Amino acid sequence: EDLLRQERDKLKQRFLEEHSCLSEQQLEQFLMRVLEASNYGVSVLSNASGNWNWDFTSSLFFASTVLSTTGYGHTVPLSDGGKAFCIIYSVIGIPFTLLFLTAVVQRIIVYVTRRPVLYFHIRWGFSKQIVAIIHAIVLGFITVSCFFLIPAAIFSVLEDDWNFLESFYFCFISLSTIGLGDYVPGEGYNQKFRELYKIGITCYLLLGLIAMLVVLETFCELHELKKFRKLFYVKKDKEEDQVNIMEHDQLSFSSISDQAASMKDDQKANEPFVASQSPTSNDSSLNN
Amino acid sequence: MDVFDSLLPLSVQDPSGNWNWEGSFCLGEATQQCEGFTIYHLSLPVPCRVLLKAMCSGKLQTGLLVAGYFIYLLVGAAVFQALERSAEKQEKIAAAQMKEAFLQKFNHLTVPEMEQFMKNLTEAIQNGVYPVGNKSQTEDSNWDFSNSFFFAGTVVSTIGYGTLRPKTAGGQIFCVFFALFGIPLNIVFLHHVGKMLSLLCKKLGKFLHEKGMRKKKIKFFTLLFFLATGILVFICLPSLFFKKTEGWSYSEGIYFAFITLSTIGFGDYVVGKQPDRNYFSYYRTLVAIWIIFGLAWIALLFNLLTTVLEDTEKIIVKDLHQIGKGGKDNEACQQGRCWPTQFIPEEEPLSSHAGGDAQKMESLAEDSEHTINEIDGVSYSKIIAKTDEN
Repeated sequence: EDLLRQERDKLKQRFLEEHSCLSEQQLEQFLMRVLEASNYGVSVLSNASGNWNWDFTSSLFFASTVLSTTGYGHTVPLSDGGKAFCIIYSVIGIPFTLLFLTAVVQRIIVYVTRRPVLYFHIRWGFSKQIVAIIHAIVLGFITVSCFFLIPAAIFSVLEDDWNFLESFYFCFISLSTIGLGDYVPGEGYNQKFRELYKIGITCYLLLGLIAMLVVLETFCELHELKKFRKLFYVKKDKEEDQVNIMEHDQLSFSSISDQAASMKDDQKANEPFVASQSPTSNDSSLNN
Repeated sequence: MDVFDSLLPLSVQDPSGNWNWEGSFCLGEATQQCEGFTIYHLSLPVPCRVLLKAMCSGKLQTGLLVAGYFIYLLVGAAVFQALERSAEKQEKIAAAQMKEAFLQKFNHLTVPEMEQFMKNLTEAIQNGVYPVGNKSQTEDSNWDFSNSFFFAGTVVSTIGYGTLRPKTAGGQIFCVFFALFGIPLNIVFLHHVGKMLSLLCKKLGKFLHEKGMRKKKIKFFTLLFFLATGILVFICLPSLFFKKTEGWSYSEGIYFAFITLSTIGFGDYVVGKQPDRNYFSYYRTLVAIWIIFGLAWIALLFNLLTTVLEDTEKIIVKDLHQIGKGGKDNEACQQGRCWPTQFIPEEEPLSSHAGGDAQKMESLAEDSEHTINEIDGVSYSKIIAKTDEN
């Protein structure tokens, strides 16, 4: 960063010297204005005038980044109406997105995780836990390669100055919804097929999010991880009318309920067939 | 019998092998619950049967949700475009005019030189270096400890403003791994914070219960209290605070508060970034505390809204069922028995994690408890915890 600063200062000095009629103050003013414009995503370079930030596909891309809470910031709503609408849109849209993702992930998990694990468990006779672990790892690898490595390769080809690491970094930052915004695809000058590209990126983000959630869900369903997570989670309290009792004997009750819960879990683990019976019967009943 | 064979595979016979024409409309495994009655109405045309079958398996529900979501996206895109296009145009025109004026004023500046200069400067700006002023020695670095801490916080909470960005390859790789472990940690942390917040609501609920209010009223009241105090404490008051310290207008403050707390984090407004303002020490710390509690509160709020949405969706689907069944044997079909039982196995995975089951809304204490236990910050964790914490 220090290097950049020095470069910047040198550049400014040189410019001022070359054009000595420019006073420093005027240059500063000009630069402020440029900075402002660039913050809003408007580039002052003349050859960038072809890119509109708010044509339909870019707006679609923007809407999807808002709803997935990624929020790159390369385009931001400029008008007051836009900002107000953005807030209202997200208040309704983010829960909607959560609902949507939950439903889709639940459906996919049945086909991707529960069925295969059960199938291998029954066919090959390995213990359910081992099959589950292997399946989770394999799924993790497939997802990482499909949604990180391959798109990273594609982006590094399509974008002019992104190397592979930068594309991978972009994929990770977007799919984890951090969305720093330092790398945004489709913003290069004279990008060919910009509309199609933007739509493609939107689809990639949504699908990638779903895939990440499926993998996370698969991992979280692993028995070992469940135990580990129970360490961190707070126990559910009982009914409201029993709360008073709980308060007095909180410790004893919670320890008992802990034991009961863990015993139940162990039981479940040791009898995989029994535990799995209900889901399968439900699933089979659905598809008959 | 071959006529019946052409029916949907769901149609079943009763145990004795007879095809009955009375009784209820049962599908699949629900035969037992329907006491061996099996029906299928031949008179329904094929598309209706397919639709009903889809409804039974909940596929329609999911399909509706997916379609609805995409429509929501498209509508949002169109509205944004309509609202922002003209503002962007104006901004572009203003920028071009400013350039023109500048060039005219200093007319020995040639255009290519200017362009080159602008290009270099734009790159510098995008790299996070502020071009105004040139006291490079006395400036605070963008990456001193407090700023780096701020950056780490925005990464781990997935807000991700983007005003600070790792440029080196090493920084980027580290960022990836840091986030990989930091985000789940953050989620668990927020879960506990949310638990703390909901304790307040529970206490209020208990207090009202002792006063003898009915459960429904308590629930409504506590919800209202939660919403009102939350909005006041986490959005309105901080906006006033920012108005004073950052010089933003009140609406800009609200916009910033919402965008930050929902973890969208555009980065167009960021605290502590105006170079010509003096911030008192611990300003950033205060903001960080606000962000932590606000994130937990908003996660609760979103979960509540998700529950509401899901209930609405269920009502819609239920209505569709009623329409789909048409006027055929509505009375005869012991709808209450057959449909829900068929529904429940499919619905359980869906409803349990969103906590949208009406029965779970007994008391608000339970409700907020339920929502808390299923909350882990926003996005990922919520969805995962929901499926697990049944």
